[in-house]
Amino acid sequence: MSGNIPIADREGPRRIEQELTEADRSRRKIEFDYSGGERLSMNMGPQHPSAHGVFRAILELEGEEVVGVDAVIGYLHRCHEKLAETLTYAQYPSIASKTDYVAAMTSEFAYVMAAEQIGKIEVPKRAQYLRVICAELQRIASHLLWLGTWCMDMGGALGGGATIFLYTIRERETILDLFEELVGARLLYGFFQVGGVRYDAPANWIEHCRTTLDAIDGRVVEYEQMLEGNPFFLARAKGVGFISRELAEDVGIAGPLLRGSGVNFDIRKAAPYSSYEDFQFTIPVETVGDCFARYRVRMAEFRQASSIARQALDKLPEGPISSMPGLKSVAQVRIPKGEAYTRVEGPRGEVGCYLIADGTAKPYRMKWRGASFSNLAVLPYIVPGVKVADVPAIMGSVDPVFGEVDR
Amino acid sequence: MKGTEPTVIVRAVLKAMGMTLRNLFRKPVTVHYPTTERKYPERYRGLLALVYEPDTGDEACIGCRLCEFVCPPAVIKVEMLKTPERNYAKSFTLELYACEFCELCVQVCPTDAIVMMKSFDMPTADRREMLLDKDRLHTIGLQHERTWATGNKLRDMQAPPKGAPRPGHAAPAAPKPTEAKA
Amino acid sequence: MTLTMLIAPFVVLNVVIGMVTYVTLLERKFAARMQSRIGPYRVGPHGLLQPIADALKLMMKEDIVPTAADRSIYNLAPIVFLLPCMLIFATIPFAPGLGVADLNIGILFFLAVSAMEIVGLFMAGWGSNNKYALLSAMRAVNQIISYDLPFIFSALVPVLLAGSLRLSDIAAAQGGGYWFIFYPVIGQLAFLFFIISTLAAENRVPFDILEAESELVAGFRVEYSGMKFALIQLGEYAHVIGSSYLGALLFLGAWGGPGPEWLGPIWFTLKAVVLFLLVTWVRWSFVRIRVDQILALSWKVLMPATLLLLVATGMVVVWRIAP
Repeated sequence: MSGNIPIADREGPRRIEQELTEADRSRRKIEFDYSGGERLSMNMGPQHPSAHGVFRAILELEGEEVVGVDAVIGYLHRCHEKLAETLTYAQYPSIASKTDYVAAMTSEFAYVMAAEQIGKIEVPKRAQYLRVICAELQRIASHLLWLGTWCMDMGGALGGGATIFLYTIRERETILDLFEELVGARLLYGFFQVGGVRYDAPANWIEHCRTTLDAIDGRVVEYEQMLEGNPFFLARAKGVGFISRELAEDVGIAGPLLRGSGVNFDIRKAAPYSSYEDFQFTIPVETVGDCFARYRVRMAEFRQASSIARQALDKLPEGPISSMPGLKSVAQVRIPKGEAYTRVEGPRGEVGCYLIADGTAKPYRMKWRGASFSNLAVLPYIVPGVKVADVPAIMGSVDPVFGEVDR
Repeated sequence: MKGTEPTVIVRAVLKAMGMTLRNLFRKPVTVHYPTTERKYPERYRGLLALVYEPDTGDEACIGCRLCEFVCPPAVIKVEMLKTPERNYAKSFTLELYACEFCELCVQVCPTDAIVMMKSFDMPTADRREMLLDKDRLHTIGLQHERTWATGNKLRDMQAPPKGAPRPGHAAPAAPKPTEAKA
Repeated sequence: MTLTMLIAPFVVLNVVIGMVTYVTLLERKFAARMQSRIGPYRVGPHGLLQPIADALKLMMKEDIVPTAADRSIYNLAPIVFLLPCMLIFATIPFAPGLGVADLNIGILFFLAVSAMEIVGLFMAGWGSNNKYALLSAMRAVNQIISYDLPFIFSALVPVLLAGSLRLSDIAAAQGGGYWFIFYPVIGQLAFLFFIISTLAAENRVPFDILEAESELVAGFRVEYSGMKFALIQLGEYAHVIGSSYLGALLFLGAWGGPGPEWLGPIWFTLKAVVLFLLVTWVRWSFVRIRVDQILALSWKVLMPATLLLLVATGMVVVWRIAP
């Protein structure tokens, strides 16, 4: 795979300067060689229907083929890491939702686990199971949004893509209804707190979860029916955006991108956290490494997440939901000196939180490892060489959320 | 498109179109807001309001400023008024346009004075109208329906008092036998 | 110049423009129902006044011309695009004897004129002085030229079966209920290729790479606003409706149908609307494919297939194999 050549070093159009006679040296003639050497520099700019957020990609095009890409990020930078130094451990989890706003609970999970790891705070079993249920429901909701927006990128907002988008959003709304019953909010929750979770399952919530999961499993079958053998979809997704196994291991991506290229790595199995070792599930891995393989990985993850959530719902133990409850947990949580790096398998990859605590109620330093930020590093390797129309398809299958990238 | 026989392509195309046709005959999921009201769940985090004590009718807020202390975006500003019997809030401003609706203020309030409503209806053309002072907060508290969550209930959900049932907690249901879905 | 020659085009044009605006509403409601939602609902009862609201809005919009645009080409492009799309209605007979101009080379005129909108398209893309528009215009020229050939060949199958280029003759040859689509194999195949070719020639999904919102944000019409945009939209939908009418005439028996004779135009319109709904149904079910895949489909699959089909139809006609 060709690496990224800085724009300054790339070839421009070749200039042919003719040997001029003395008479017409006054008019220097410079011709461009149109035999394929002329490049068009096009901006898939920050405002773009398919940029998945605010993302600027400067594409160098030769006709219809992309020969270079320069990714410009930072349009959504909101100083999360500095904010974390000014907010206490009790206040920050609701802000942490805003990094990965599509799968908000993932970021809260990582932060809260980091604080608990430094402070050696035990999380009660019920809280751990509730965390797992919510994380898996969040994964399903995030993958639903991914499928919808990816098909919309490939198919157009006025076309078949929008149809699948509306179907998946319709299903995602049912999951958000579940969260609304549990927490009260649909998109950005403040569900986690250091020591456990803030809310407990209300009456009928468990039954409601089960019926929703059943309905979603049925609908996922319908999506596969619509897409699986569809020749137009296969023509767009197969053979596009190859990530070889060596590249995947070298460049530092994680999540479905890694598992679509044949690397069997999932943090829930490799370094289980929060009682994931109690559940039985498999990790879907595909070896081909193109967009279609990543699609298959995510579709299989739907089913695995549903199965984990069902197991957790069945085995939900009784007990407290937080080991630091009451007034103390909200206002004054003091973590002793120490540092920790915790990782969570989010829908997009590994979300990591590196926390340095210094004994006060606020951390000394907090750093996010954004899953999408590291995943974007693969773009200069896979985008050059494809056609322009494949760029949104690749971006969609990489599935970035720019809250995570820019933080 | 290479490598697939025409029959396979035609069948897949017809399957996809059949799925769209099936959805043509399903009921649309649109909710005709605002003519139809959506039923909000019990714990919905809507507008914020100050309430009165149910038995005495007195203002419940004692001006302790815990909510001001805990609010992440720091939108609450309280001034305490001390009187011989009890303390009050002399002024209480809440900038609703910056509020995150995270419910932390509700969770810390010792007297259940600040609560959230089951409605978020506050359409306005001017952001300054969303700077709520104490009178407006009390008015909102009387206008809409409250959510289930108050400070004591949220705290008791996390640490139930000895012997008392835990609020907001579902009774344990008999686990259903599940088949492992591959 | 008799009075009918003056009035007929006027009437047809108005009816067509009215139909085009309401067909947009039909498409929006149909598409919405396929997506589990309701389409336009508030403007007028069940959204019936929505097209009028849209037309008024577009008329009142500010007409923005980019500074560096090539003014004459930019301003003329919508008109050059719209004219052929309106002209195709001149040859369609809505009932026996009821048409603007029943040319004896009717279908040739239709196909030739409908291919002229490429010029308008490219003018729009070039005159906008916008890289996105230019890319889309180049793709459009490629695509429409490639698909005009299968379009013509598949439209020639009914011509061969009827033995005349005149559109009313083709319609009359299907009288008696045996429409060309019912012909054993060649009828259905020709209809299928016709539908695919019209989808591509009208830039409809799955072949609408040139207005691909996700990459090119409205393609060649990205710099147009207000009334010029309305003209381009009008032209596009008029072309779709015109092709639907042509398809209904060539394959579905035009004005044939049960009931008295004066119901003929109504049956015709109904069949055209059914074809339009078929096109819409395909549009809202599939993602689009890349331009090189579109061209590969045209040159490698459709061209040989339609050529073979034409040869087979010729043999059938000469040897009178089919009834």
